[in-house]
Amino acid sequence: MRGLRRIAARGHSPARLMGGTLVGLVVLMAILGPLLVEGSPTRQDLSAVLDPPSADALLGRDHLGRSVLVRLVHAARLSVSLGAATVVAAAVPGILLGLLAAWAGGWTDRVLSGLGDAVLALPGLLLVLLVVALAPGAFWPLFLGLSLAMWVEWFRVTRAASGALLASPAVEAARLLGFGPWHVLRRHVLPEMAPLFGTLAAFGFAGAVLAVGALGFIGIGLRPPTAEWGLMMVELLPHYDEAPLAMLAPALCLFALVLGLQLLAGRDPR
Amino acid sequence: MGGVVRALLRRAVQAVLVTVLVSGLCFTLVRLLPGDQALRVAEGRYGYDRVTTASADAVRAELGLDRPAAEQFMAWVARLAQGDLGVSLVTGDRVVEEVAYQLGHTLLLSLAALSLALLAGPALGLFAGLRPGGVLDQAGMVGAAALRALPVFALGIGLMLLFGVTLGWLPVAGFHATENLVLPALALGLGLAAASARVARDATVAATSAPFFGFALLRGLTRAQAVRQHVPRNAAVPVLAYLGVNLALLVEGVVVVESLFGWPGIGHALSHAIAARDVPMLQGTALSLGLIFVALNAFTDLAILAADPRRRG
Amino acid sequence: MTPSLTIEDLRVSAGGVALVRGVSIRVAPGVPLTIVGETGSGKTLVAEAAMGTLAPELVASGRVVLGDAASEAGDRAARRHLWGRGIAMLPQEPWLALDPTMRVLPQVAQGHRFVRGLSMAEATARAREDLAALGLSGAATRFPHQLSGGMAQRVAVAAARAGGAPLLLADEPTKGLDSDLRSAVVALLRGALLAGGSLLCITHDVAVARALGGEVMVMLDGEVVEHGPAETVLTAPSHAYTRRLLAAEPEAWANDAIPGAGEELLSATSLAAERGGRRLFEALDLAVGAGEWVAVTGPSGCGKTTLGNVLLGLLRPAAGQVRRRAGLARTRYQKLYQDPVATFAPRLDLRTALAEAAALHGVPWSQLAAMLARLRVPDALLDRRPDQVSGGELQRIAIARALLADPVFLFADEPTSRLDPITQQETMAALREVSRERGLAVLLVTHDQAMARKVAGRQIALRAA
Repeated sequence: MRGLRRIAARGHSPARLMGGTLVGLVVLMAILGPLLVEGSPTRQDLSAVLDPPSADALLGRDHLGRSVLVRLVHAARLSVSLGAATVVAAAVPGILLGLLAAWAGGWTDRVLSGLGDAVLALPGLLLVLLVVALAPGAFWPLFLGLSLAMWVEWFRVTRAASGALLASPAVEAARLLGFGPWHVLRRHVLPEMAPLFGTLAAFGFAGAVLAVGALGFIGIGLRPPTAEWGLMMVELLPHYDEAPLAMLAPALCLFALVLGLQLLAGRDPR
Repeated sequence: MGGVVRALLRRAVQAVLVTVLVSGLCFTLVRLLPGDQALRVAEGRYGYDRVTTASADAVRAELGLDRPAAEQFMAWVARLAQGDLGVSLVTGDRVVEEVAYQLGHTLLLSLAALSLALLAGPALGLFAGLRPGGVLDQAGMVGAAALRALPVFALGIGLMLLFGVTLGWLPVAGFHATENLVLPALALGLGLAAASARVARDATVAATSAPFFGFALLRGLTRAQAVRQHVPRNAAVPVLAYLGVNLALLVEGVVVVESLFGWPGIGHALSHAIAARDVPMLQGTALSLGLIFVALNAFTDLAILAADPRRRG
Repeated sequence: MTPSLTIEDLRVSAGGVALVRGVSIRVAPGVPLTIVGETGSGKTLVAEAAMGTLAPELVASGRVVLGDAASEAGDRAARRHLWGRGIAMLPQEPWLALDPTMRVLPQVAQGHRFVRGLSMAEATARAREDLAALGLSGAATRFPHQLSGGMAQRVAVAAARAGGAPLLLADEPTKGLDSDLRSAVVALLRGALLAGGSLLCITHDVAVARALGGEVMVMLDGEVVEHGPAETVLTAPSHAYTRRLLAAEPEAWANDAIPGAGEELLSATSLAAERGGRRLFEALDLAVGAGEWVAVTGPSGCGKTTLGNVLLGLLRPAAGQVRRRAGLARTRYQKLYQDPVATFAPRLDLRTALAEAAALHGVPWSQLAAMLARLRVPDALLDRRPDQVSGGELQRIAIARALLADPVFLFADEPTSRLDPITQQETMAALREVSRERGLAVLLVTHDQAMARKVAGRQIALRAA
């Protein structure tokens, strides 16, 4: 019985490997793509509208004659950097406040947890929408809204996990021996939470990328002519019959990145 | 029963939080938005070309936009408390009436998607989990992983192109007949169903390797009897808990799916309100979505309490 | 069928390593057979072979005859249809073996309904009778988490026997239970026997074997080293291992209360503590002097551990106060835990963990190494992680770690209750040696009255809260 459970808990490393490969490819595309593929993502060429793939536009051209490939790699850079920035902006305060709440307990914990509950009272995307409404189409409200909606996840997971760890006999024994907070954090809390953080980061990254795409898609995220996957899809949807590749390519990129992140993350920590 | 009261109280607090948060943010929004609000309202009502300073001033006085911020906020909250959500800046109709009309559509769509997530997903997950590593398990789990990674809007487009355009089986837009509901409900529900299938699968594996399952076999029950007696209830708890945490995904999906399929619900109106900077409409729709979220959460809490005696305490 | 079980020449091996070598047993109706042995002796494998639940990766040979059905020991499917009908198994830690989402009555009724094929109403009525016979009428509508350990044990027996199996197999029936519940468990098992069945009991606890009577078999490293009637084996053992096992029982320990308390290290006056708003104890006065051993006993949940934690300052008392001797650092009051694995960082090797603690207290490694050698901890163990070391070894390492702070007082919270009897005796001996040498005072929390009597000069018995 115990053997069964151990096998189930270990997770599948082939899936992780595949996830890592997918994420690696998209990240590589985001970093190197704009350097390797020349051209501006917004330069129109109305004489080449919806051209099929050719030597100077490997994935063809869109309804304004822009190279789909150039737009694709610039959109990758946008999504990857926004995702990474959001994860950092959500993780740093989330982890620090979570540790603080678990360590201090009492009123500090109550106030911080209340704050977390308040943010979680609304579905995340709704909160992002309300912040984005300040300046639709701008980058900063999007980033701010996403970070604001996502730090709570980090806070709650950190608080719960570190709370359990801090109450463990191992920490009690270490404190009795005279070890200070730094030792407890370094030896007992952080090493146990590192895998959890990895999972949260992957899920958060995927969530941010999806949200950016979804907002672009419904026309309240980033605005044209920005190269963004969701936006590209909605722009090209009416032209699907003539240039299916132009619409499928961004969908595929988004799918690959999110799938890769989810495979990398493993089980949902919540 | 203590557990039920506690759960409902918690959700009541959440409902208050939603109201405060949405109205506070919307009020701030009005103050922060560039340009003369009264002018914008007047434009909305009378048209770009016919607006005059006089009509803007009239609107200003009518809505109390010339008073201090604190006073305005009090008036704002007082109106909200009376159920007065104001008038849409775009159509000039009362927000309450518009939202009441949209609510039915949104509820229909969400319940259709939820039943998919609650029936089809867990049932598949259960069968997959009974034979871990089997064909159904492996194929199903690959499918579920792919579905979960597919953004709602991409899934929606895919369904639209496949069933609506290529095969021509189902209408891609409209909202009157039952078949209009199928594609949006699938787009909204498939991702959740995939996720709950995954959770149900793991929960089934956990239940069938739990000591109580082994004990049931040792007592002489056949495997089928033991599965029927012990697995569904034990697997339901994690599935419901997961769904409870992920209800946010449903509400978020509503906004996207309604916009994509032109479904005349609250989510669709919300994205329009943001694009048009129609703050009263934004407040009304965001508030309704937030409260739907709270209500769904409350139902999930009660379902979990019903399924798991340990939490009733 | 006749309620008898015979196993002939059972051999079990895993990857070429023999785990059970040529074990034969015979369980006759009305006479219980108890197999006594410590962890790794192979006693559980014998039970699993009887049941037909050996893990598939194990290679087994031998014959199992259950009533009039004979089959190969390795044939796992052969006895499947006898489960519940011919042979019933009482699981370890029965509170985990009941479905947490199902009330007690329907769980007991399952056997009547699905195994005997009674109607739903009839099965429920029979289950109600079963529960009443065990004094559990009031528990019929409860959920498993609302049962005490002893009640869960009785429910599990009723559920296991509901299918009508005459042969009952009990694997470590006292595991996780207080020793004062031991006699209740034994009475329960004997009750099953009186109903015309037979019983095979697997345990590490010699006292259970003694209380059950009948036949006793002692296993060591996969072999039977002694077998005979309980009176003979347990009073005049012929094998050296059996003698050692009997000598390891706290009852048999030499009276070794360390005399004379030195200067006072710790005192508590009119102490009271609460848990979840419930008073555990109150008006407790206590003083502990250097080198003294004080034992705290009482049933589980009575606040034994809470008392120790209050004395260490880990918990605030509800009333009264604790005074530690002035001028002594807080780190000179240390604690030893029931489950030592949980007291080390799980991913860190023991050498690093100990080195850091030694550095913190300015103790040179050589001095620590000498202490570890005295406690018979092989140096090579230190390169492992805490979960890769046996319980007895890790508890000795935990003792060495606590000694780094040069303690004057040690709160030992059931430090040996999860260890096999011989390991328990060795660990306790090591602790006593260290205490005597350093004048270390020990507050020992234990549920074992005999042990408390043998080692402590003074005892505090807490009543159930």
